[in-house]
Amino acid sequence: MAATTVQRPRSRSPLRKHSVPYLHLAPALLAVVLTTVYPLVSALITSFRHWRLNETREAGEFVGLAQYQRVFTDDTFFNSALVTLNFTVISVVLSVGLGLCIALILNNRTRLSALTKALLILPFAVAPALKGFSWRFMLNPDTGVYDKMLDSVLPFADNINWLGDPFWALMVLALTEVWGWAPLIALMLLGGLNSISPEVREAARIDGANAWQQFWRVTFPLLRPLLLIVVFLKAVFSVKIFDQVVTTTGGGPGRATESLNFFAYSQGFTFLDIGYASAVSWVIVLVLGVLAALYLIAMARQEAK
Amino acid sequence: MTDTATKLAKHPAAIAAPVRRQRRRRGGWAIGRAFLRVLATLAILFFVLFPIFWMALTAFKPARDAFSTAVLFTPTLDNFLAIFGGASDLTGALVNSVLIAVATTIVSIPLALLAAYAFSRYRFPGHRGMLLAIVATQFIPGVAIALPFLTLFRSLGLIDTHLALVVVNLSLVVPYITWLLKGFVDGLPLEIEEAARLDGCTQVNLLWRVITPLAAPGIFVAAVFSFLLSWNEFLFPTFLARTEAETLPVALMTLVMPEGVAWGQMAAAGLLVMAPMLILALLVRKHFAEGMTMGAVK
Repeated sequence: MAATTVQRPRSRSPLRKHSVPYLHLAPALLAVVLTTVYPLVSALITSFRHWRLNETREAGEFVGLAQYQRVFTDDTFFNSALVTLNFTVISVVLSVGLGLCIALILNNRTRLSALTKALLILPFAVAPALKGFSWRFMLNPDTGVYDKMLDSVLPFADNINWLGDPFWALMVLALTEVWGWAPLIALMLLGGLNSISPEVREAARIDGANAWQQFWRVTFPLLRPLLLIVVFLKAVFSVKIFDQVVTTTGGGPGRATESLNFFAYSQGFTFLDIGYASAVSWVIVLVLGVLAALYLIAMARQEAK
Repeated sequence: MTDTATKLAKHPAAIAAPVRRQRRRRGGWAIGRAFLRVLATLAILFFVLFPIFWMALTAFKPARDAFSTAVLFTPTLDNFLAIFGGASDLTGALVNSVLIAVATTIVSIPLALLAAYAFSRYRFPGHRGMLLAIVATQFIPGVAIALPFLTLFRSLGLIDTHLALVVVNLSLVVPYITWLLKGFVDGLPLEIEEAARLDGCTQVNLLWRVITPLAAPGIFVAAVFSFLLSWNEFLFPTFLARTEAETLPVALMTLVMPEGVAWGQMAAAGLLVMAPMLILALLVRKHFAEGMTMGAVK
């Protein structure tokens, strides 16, 4: 991405020339290092120590990889890893699938579409914590408005206690996320669709391709790099899911919606086991690191085009 | 005259006849498709807007209607009175949210603008690496930042203060708006800067009197995003500020009472959390997609 910056030569003394950009960067760099690198390093160090806040105020002795051994033998950790994986797959598929549908439906110049496009951003601006409460309210099995609508359309839905059932609780959690993300993804994809020149599709149409073929043979391949970026981006934010878990299900029923972030939170904040929580949070850092690398590669490829 | 007109009209029509028949068939399809498209668009509008509409509606419902699906009722301000000085007062949380979001924005804009200017105008060792690092910060899970700060702020006696939240919010906001502002500075013409330099303008003056006014629209967008990110943040205040410096999204939890959720008040508080952000989002909506992907979508 740096390659896109245009650099114009400027005559200046070498020392000044070299120090000036760093002087500009210093304050922001200091803030970012202090608020991201420091905690990451601190958490890494803590993850090798024994430290329960209910026992000591200060960090205890170093225990090597013991915390990590505990992580990988902890069933509740594996449960939350699985919950996070399921949640990520469900919310990525639904968000990107629905986002693509919305984008294709709105990819025209009518006034109604223009209005809808303008409003697409609204759900994303709603605080995720509030999204959780809002959907919990609307899917209340006795009084919720969405519950009543669903019951009238689907008879079998009448007996479903949305947040009391492990499967549906996870689906509701995914839905709170999809509500914000699908429209945003649609906006991103609409940007991509705009950059596909109409001539390409026109050419396909003249060659006798029907709408379905036009989509799969022309639009989709051209949109694929962008779709890949969107999938990774959504996956990263899904792995980080926390807010709605607290406000919608509180991790329940049982541990059915306990995401990794929520698990780390409950270990650290509720059980005050800082050492163990730090090890868990570093496992999350590594998972996200892999996703981040894939995302940056996809982005670099997109830019190389 | 009519004769020639009909002749002229007939002539091309005769040739175009097969084409036109084909078009008419397409026309029938097109109307059907346009109708389906309108239906689908209305469904999208419903999906996007209904939860917002429903919360706004519930906020004004009297207690006895809060659990009904009634759309017609006598509107009341009871729920707002309850959260402003009433039974479940959220005034303090509102003040905290505003203070923290404003302070985060005021601190991060100058830092980010300086950094964005450097990234945009200079090429230096580490340029690309640092830009990548800035994108990478967005992938750090919140707990990995909140936990160390929880123990640090505890030992510094800063737990549950506005300052603590402003500091951790910088981890979200500074990288994000640096990237955003870099895009804006990239788009500023170099000629004005060069002219200012020729007139003997110092670097400080250049940044303050030339770049800042020129980048004002970008700074506004960055300020909106900074405010929005701080305002909606939930994980950091959950870890670091549970009473004194509690922000609105966390304070919503106080409406979950042992006897059940006070949904009317929740809706009123929700409207309070949501409404300013909806307005801000509409103001900067063009920049959302590019902001989220940090420039991947242009």
